[in-house]
Amino acid sequence: MINALTILFCLTLMYLAVTTRLSSYVLILVFQGVLVAGVYTLSFFENFSWQHLVIAGAVLLFRTILIPGYITKIIRDLDMRHRDQTQRYHPGFLLQMAAVIIGSFFLAQRLSSLTPVLVIPLGAAVAGIFGGGLLIVRRRLLLAHVVGFLIIENGLFLLGLGLEAEMPWVIELAAFLDLFVLIFLMGIAMNQLKTHFPEGEELTTLRD
Amino acid sequence: MALPLLLLIGLPLLATGLTAVCRSVARNQVVTLVTGAGHLAAALYLLVTRHDPAPAGVWFAIDPLGTFFLAILSHTFLAVVLYSPGFLKRVSGAELDVSKRLYYPALNGYLLTNTLVIFTQHFGMLWVVLELTTFCLVPLLYFYRSKESLEAVWKYLFLVSLGLVFLLIGILALGLAAKGLPGRPPLVIADLVGSAAQLNPLWVKISFLMALIGLSAKIGLAPMHPADIDATSNAPAPVAALMAGSLRSTSVLVLLRFCQIVFQTGERAFAQRLMVFAGMLSLAVAAVYMWRSRNYKRLLAYSSVEHLGIAVLGIGVGGLAMLGALLHLLFNSLGKMALFFMAGRIHAAFDSREIDQIENLTRRLRWTGFVFGAAFFFVVATPPFGFFFSELFILQGMIHSKQWGVLAMFLGLMMIIFIGLSRAALQMLQKGSTEIATSSTPPPERFHLAHAVSLYAMAISVPIAVFQPQPLFESMRAILAMLGVTV
Repeated sequence: MINALTILFCLTLMYLAVTTRLSSYVLILVFQGVLVAGVYTLSFFENFSWQHLVIAGAVLLFRTILIPGYITKIIRDLDMRHRDQTQRYHPGFLLQMAAVIIGSFFLAQRLSSLTPVLVIPLGAAVAGIFGGGLLIVRRRLLLAHVVGFLIIENGLFLLGLGLEAEMPWVIELAAFLDLFVLIFLMGIAMNQLKTHFPEGEELTTLRD
Repeated sequence: MALPLLLLIGLPLLATGLTAVCRSVARNQVVTLVTGAGHLAAALYLLVTRHDPAPAGVWFAIDPLGTFFLAILSHTFLAVVLYSPGFLKRVSGAELDVSKRLYYPALNGYLLTNTLVIFTQHFGMLWVVLELTTFCLVPLLYFYRSKESLEAVWKYLFLVSLGLVFLLIGILALGLAAKGLPGRPPLVIADLVGSAAQLNPLWVKISFLMALIGLSAKIGLAPMHPADIDATSNAPAPVAALMAGSLRSTSVLVLLRFCQIVFQTGERAFAQRLMVFAGMLSLAVAAVYMWRSRNYKRLLAYSSVEHLGIAVLGIGVGGLAMLGALLHLLFNSLGKMALFFMAGRIHAAFDSREIDQIENLTRRLRWTGFVFGAAFFFVVATPPFGFFFSELFILQGMIHSKQWGVLAMFLGLMMIIFIGLSRAALQMLQKGSTEIATSSTPPPERFHLAHAVSLYAMAISVPIAVFQPQPLFESMRAILAMLGVTV
């Protein structure tokens, strides 16, 4: 079941490469949030504890409701609906994303021969990290960068599970703090950006 | 021990709260000055007295590595606090009222979070407080509330956060390296050092690689340097001095925390090679951009990339070069303080950051021109200033370890950087001096506290390098012992 959910996670990355609508990006984040929370819950199903339940609940709350809701609010407040095409669709992005996913599973397979890991969750996690990075590189709109960052964070969460790391609570706390700080600050910054960069939200003033 | 700890953590905490509540800038200045002075006194006390490593199982403790970086942080902070009243008086405008009100709370928050980074001995908690340092820096970076500062803040926030994701992967890998060990150590540094020989070498390698990539954004190493350049060059002068002088050093401390563990394993050579590569790449990038850049604040920011690159290179070379690297970090905080303070005064006088717009500096601003000129000689490692001696130690380290290729590349890149920086600095100091000499002379600039602080910062490096004060060098030897290096 965990494998099925992580493969679905990879499919969301493929969808990410073909869509150019901001609303689809938010939908992908919601879906990934559900998948990540599901994988987390299943991985600790036989070794249940209240701590795991609280973390799973927090993952679900943050990644499927609070963060996507906040991003939707930013899109609405900044009146970005009328131009929700971040950039033209380009088949090259799809090919690159496919290469990232294949490469990630290849890497996970190689790593499994050296140390005990869960190949499919690990491959999906690495794909999430690199896929999010690829979105940041390929898309110019700032909101797409925030979405890319959040996908990297989802990948990071899966990485801990794929590696069976069983990290202490402080790591979980760190991940939440990171999300909170980033989204909070980026939200403020984006509101400010609206006044300074009304047209394209492309930051190209500072150069050598 | 209790009183220094109270001063180091309690004072900034109290000051952050007080300055956040109080709306009077003058009162906030006094509170922050008292905090800075108390913090420095406690840091110097610990530097002299604490030479033992942190005990096992403890999340917060001060060790020689901590005391050394604490001294750098406190010293830079106090200098910035002394410079700040003059800076805040100079900048005016209704749009800056909010920035002025946030200035001191953010400054005290910065001191608090950086002190916590230095004290923390648990990698998970270390990551959390490192994130908080970025959070405290945002209001300071966005001080001018301009289009450029907003872009710089956005890029800095984004790239540093991305870097911290890599750091978190590094910490995760470190936890995995210890997986399966009997009585598995948590992420406490002393515990991991104790069981370093049994750590899984593959995960140790991955951990160090990820940590170095992640920390590069905060240290300002290539190729993660662009956000740091934008942030430093668009920040107000005291904030730029704080970033170049202390924030980057604190981030090197985090890298050294990883070195503490990795250097006790069989992967020491791997880690050192990586650091030599990162240092050399930073030098190469600085060499290229210091020729291209026509903005003097960006030029100074690239100078930070260069000097942090040299420090990381020194740590990678090992032996005597590591001692040189520690000294280099100390002198970097002093030199950058002087350079950025003067850059702030130049910006105030000329209202431009373009090198081509700066003319006749030595005549128009005689004290600023003089101190800026001296600071230029400082950063290009002219004797008797400190950088000369620290770079000499690093060169000696390269020669002792017979790293001839590294030595040749280092000298070649330093030559290019020297010429690039000289071109810009001499143009700023000398351009147009003959034409103006015949025309009306502007009123002479008065000697300011900023000049005194900058001159002090440069002058203090000479006795430190020449006389090698025992408490400081004892502390540095203790650090080297922690890293398994004897000189």
